[in-house]
Amino acid sequence: MKIFDKILKSFTILILILMYLPIATMIFFSFNSTKSLVRFTGFSFRWYSALFQNRIVWGALYNSITVAVVVTLVSIVLALLMANAIVRYEYRGESIIDAFIYIPIVIPEITESLAILILYIFLGFPRGFWGVVLGHATFGATFAVVVLRARIAGLKKSVEEAARTLGADEIQTFFRITLPILMPGVIAAALLVFTLSFDDFIKTTFTRGPGFNTLPLIIYDSAKRGGVSPEINALSTFSFGISLLFSAVRLFTLRRGRYE
Amino acid sequence: MEDFLKKFITKVRRKRRLQYILLLLPAMVYLTIFFMAPFVLTTLYSLNMATKDRQFLFTPSFEWYLHAFEMEGLLTIFLRSIGYGLANTLLCVVLGYPIAYYIAVKCKYRDVILLLFMVPLWVSFLLRTYALMGVLSSSGLLNGVLLGLGIIKEPLEILRTPTAVFIAMVYNYLLFMILPLYANLEKLDISLLEAAATLGAGKISTFFRVILPLSLPGIVAGSLLVFIPTTGEFIIPDLVGGPDTYMLGNVIWLIFLYTRNWNLGSAISILFILFILAIIMVYLKYAGIKEVVF
Repeated sequence: MKIFDKILKSFTILILILMYLPIATMIFFSFNSTKSLVRFTGFSFRWYSALFQNRIVWGALYNSITVAVVVTLVSIVLALLMANAIVRYEYRGESIIDAFIYIPIVIPEITESLAILILYIFLGFPRGFWGVVLGHATFGATFAVVVLRARIAGLKKSVEEAARTLGADEIQTFFRITLPILMPGVIAAALLVFTLSFDDFIKTTFTRGPGFNTLPLIIYDSAKRGGVSPEINALSTFSFGISLLFSAVRLFTLRRGRYE
Repeated sequence: MEDFLKKFITKVRRKRRLQYILLLLPAMVYLTIFFMAPFVLTTLYSLNMATKDRQFLFTPSFEWYLHAFEMEGLLTIFLRSIGYGLANTLLCVVLGYPIAYYIAVKCKYRDVILLLFMVPLWVSFLLRTYALMGVLSSSGLLNGVLLGLGIIKEPLEILRTPTAVFIAMVYNYLLFMILPLYANLEKLDISLLEAAATLGAGKISTFFRVILPLSLPGIVAGSLLVFIPTTGEFIIPDLVGGPDTYMLGNVIWLIFLYTRNWNLGSAISILFILFILAIIMVYLKYAGIKEVVF
C-alpha cells in the first residue's frame, strides 16, 4: 500500500499548490511593468506608485484602518466584560447567552446586513463611519467572546486569590494580575477582530453612507467594473499584506500564550 | 449623590448576581439593539409593516410571503442555492477527505502542512475570489498557458459560467471541510485498524466499515460549515458568475439596494433564515452547537 500513501501525498501537495496559485499570480503580476496578466515583462513598482498617488485609495485606507481600530476597541471591551461574566458566574440564562454569541456567527451575513440597514433607516441613524463601526462590532464582539472565554476558563484561580489575600481589591487584581495574564488572548482576539473588520465587504456596503469607501469596496467596485487589472492586483496585494501581517502575529501570540 | 454611589458600590461588592448582570449588560444591550432588533424589524416588514410620513402602518398579513412564493424565478434561485450548496459540500468532502486523512494519519509534518493550508484563509474572501478571477479570465493565466501550449486555439470563457462558480466555491470553502475532518480523524484510534486487520478485514473494507463511520461526526460538522455559508453566498456568483448563476444572496441584494421593496426583501430574507435555522436544528440533534463553530 506504499503506492497509495504516495498518491495521497501527491494529491495533498497538488491541492496546496492550486490553493496558492491564484494569490501568487496576483502578487507576481502586481509587479509587472506592463498591463499583461500572462507575460511577465519586467519588474516594476509603477502600479504601486500609481496607487499611492490616488487620493481615493488613501481615503479608503484611512477609513478601513480607523473603522477597524474602533471596532476592535469596542469589541474587546464588550467581550472582556461578557466573557468574564460567562466564565466566572454560574447563573441561569446560559443558553440565551450562547444564542447571542453563536447566532451572529452562523446567520448568513447578507441577511444580517440588510436587517441592520432596515434598523438604521427606521431610526434615522446616519449611515457612515459610526454606522459601519456599530455594524461590524456585532461579529467583532461575538468572535472576541469566543476567543476570550476559552482563555478566561483556563486561568488559574489561585493567582487571583493570592492577590486578594495580599490586600488587592477587585479592580487592582483585574488590572495588575488578571489582565496581564490574559494579554496574549486579548491581543489574539484584537488582531482577529481587526482583520475581520478590515476585510469586511458585505456589511460595510449596507451600513456605509454615500461616498464612504473602504479598501474592500474599492477592490470590489473595480473588479466588478473592469475585471482584473494590475492596479487592483497591487491594491489587493497591499491589503493582503496587512491581513497576513496581523494573522501571523496572532498565530505567534497564541503559540506563545500556550506555553506560558 | 456620592452617598448613593458608595451604597451602590458596596451593594455590587456583596451581591454576585448583581456583578454578573452588570458585566453582561453592555454587550447584551448592544447586541439587542444592533443584532436582535434589526431582525425583529425585518420580521415586522415581512408581515406588511410600512412607514409613511414618519407614521407606522401595520396591518399584519402574509401577503409578501405569498408574493415571494409567486415571484417569477425565485423558486429556481432558491433551489439553485440549495443545489450549489449541496454540490459544493459534496465536492469538498470528496477532495477534503483524502487530504484530512493524509494530514491526520500519514503525515510526518502535520503542523507545517496544516499551517500551509491555513495561510490562504488569512486572505479575505473577496481577495481570494478576485485572485481566482485573474487565473480564470479570458486573458488570464489558465488561458495563457493553454494557448501557449497549443492545447486550445481560442481562449476558454470560464468566467460567468457555473464552472467558475464551482471552482471558486471549492477554492474558498475546502479548508472549512478539511479542518473539522482533520480534528476528527486525528483522534482515530490506530489500534482499531489493527484489530480490523487481525480480524481479517482488507484495507478497503476497514475504510468503509471502520474509519468512515467513525469520522461521520467530522463529515457532518464540515458539511454544515460549508453548506450554510455557500447557500448564502453573494460575492462568488456576483464576481465570477453571471445572472444565470445568481443565488439567494444576490436576489436579496438586488431587491434591497435597487428595487427597494422592503416588504418583499424582508419576506425572502426571513424565509432564508428559517431555512438555515431548520438545518441547524436538525444538526443539533446530532451534535452540540459549540462543535458547529469550532
